[in-house]
Amino acid sequence: MPEEKKGFMQNLKEVIYGMAAHDMSRYAVRTRASMEHLFILITMGDMIGIPILPPYYSLRLLPYVVPQISTWKRRLLREKDISDAMF
Amino acid sequence: MSLKTTFEQHPERRYIMFGGKGGLGKTTFSAATAYWLASQGKKVMVFSVDPQASLSDIFQKDIFGKGPVKIMENLWAQEIDADQHIKQYQGEIRQKILDMYGFDKVPDEIEQYIQAASAEPAMEESAIFDAVVDIVVEGNYDYYIYDLVPLGHALYYLSMAKVYDEWINKITHLREEMREYEEMVSRLKREKETEEDQILKELQYIRSRINASSRILTDKVQTAFFFVIIPEEMILIDTQKAAGLFAKFDVPLSGYVVNRVVPRELLQQQIPSYLRNRIQMQDKYLLQIDEMFGKQVSAWVPELERDVTGLSMIEKLAGIMYAK
Repeated sequence: MPEEKKGFMQNLKEVIYGMAAHDMSRYAVRTRASMEHLFILITMGDMIGIPILPPYYSLRLLPYVVPQISTWKRRLLREKDISDAMF
Repeated sequence: MSLKTTFEQHPERRYIMFGGKGGLGKTTFSAATAYWLASQGKKVMVFSVDPQASLSDIFQKDIFGKGPVKIMENLWAQEIDADQHIKQYQGEIRQKILDMYGFDKVPDEIEQYIQAASAEPAMEESAIFDAVVDIVVEGNYDYYIYDLVPLGHALYYLSMAKVYDEWINKITHLREEMREYEEMVSRLKREKETEEDQILKELQYIRSRINASSRILTDKVQTAFFFVIIPEEMILIDTQKAAGLFAKFDVPLSGYVVNRVVPRELLQQQIPSYLRNRIQMQDKYLLQIDEMFGKQVSAWVPELERDVTGLSMIEKLAGIMYAK
């Protein structure tokens, strides 16, 4: 019995999470990702031709953003604003 | 106040800098001061932050890129090889990328960036700036003497510290905000603690490096900054301007050292009018210097019979500079 009950509680938890928090956390993850890209832009800007200060110490940060570089470049090129969706 | 009394009364001033336009004698005075302090039994490091350093020339010993080189008892000198420093640094970055992701080679895109970044003009200055932190932070010398770059560069060097600092503050802030979102997600999903942000740690490290260096440049207690001037109009005008700018960056100005004063004793001898005219011209500007800087002038150094290179000439100059 307790096992079944736990399953039910688990389900209930997930439903509540889905109703109440999923959107919020999705939003947070998305905001986090935008910020990540903004961060790479600020530190590694000259990679796409925007020279932003200063290269010496940016290099120290490079290893940590290696996996994000390609998505970052893709996203920058894809970025649209609301008018693109309207018309 | 004479140079000697300045040093005697302020033993806490451990970071000594000579600044001024190019070719007026910054390196010469750095070497002579280092020599004098070392002969007083202090452990001294004199180092150059100039990519076109000339300490090797004045000590007549090739010290470029060789780390601290002992010149004589108590005296070490160092010239930073920026290129070598950058190469080594690039190597460390590459190795870190390989280690972190288990690649056998750095991805092309990343490699290109590493190389492009290193070709930027600011890179060399930044590398030297960073190397200086290593020298100064280790701290086993009683005195550190900075053989500075000419004025324009020195100002750039100083402003760089401020720019860096603001840059770091901004991105650290952004990073912290990112962290908040990350934590929010894990709370919502009821996950365990989020991982420690390595980038934030790295940023804090960078900030500590920059602060260490700019703190010294603007330290009112431990730093003494001397302007080197000569009695000529252009130099005086430029130096006044520069002094204003340095003051803006809070560099503690300790005094002015006047170089290349033609000895007045010559007037008692039969000398050509050429020399007499030069002395007259200098007289005019020496008067002006006295009016402009007055008691801030720490030493009047005569034009010597030959250029200062090699320890015996350095000794002679130190004897004159620190006579009283």
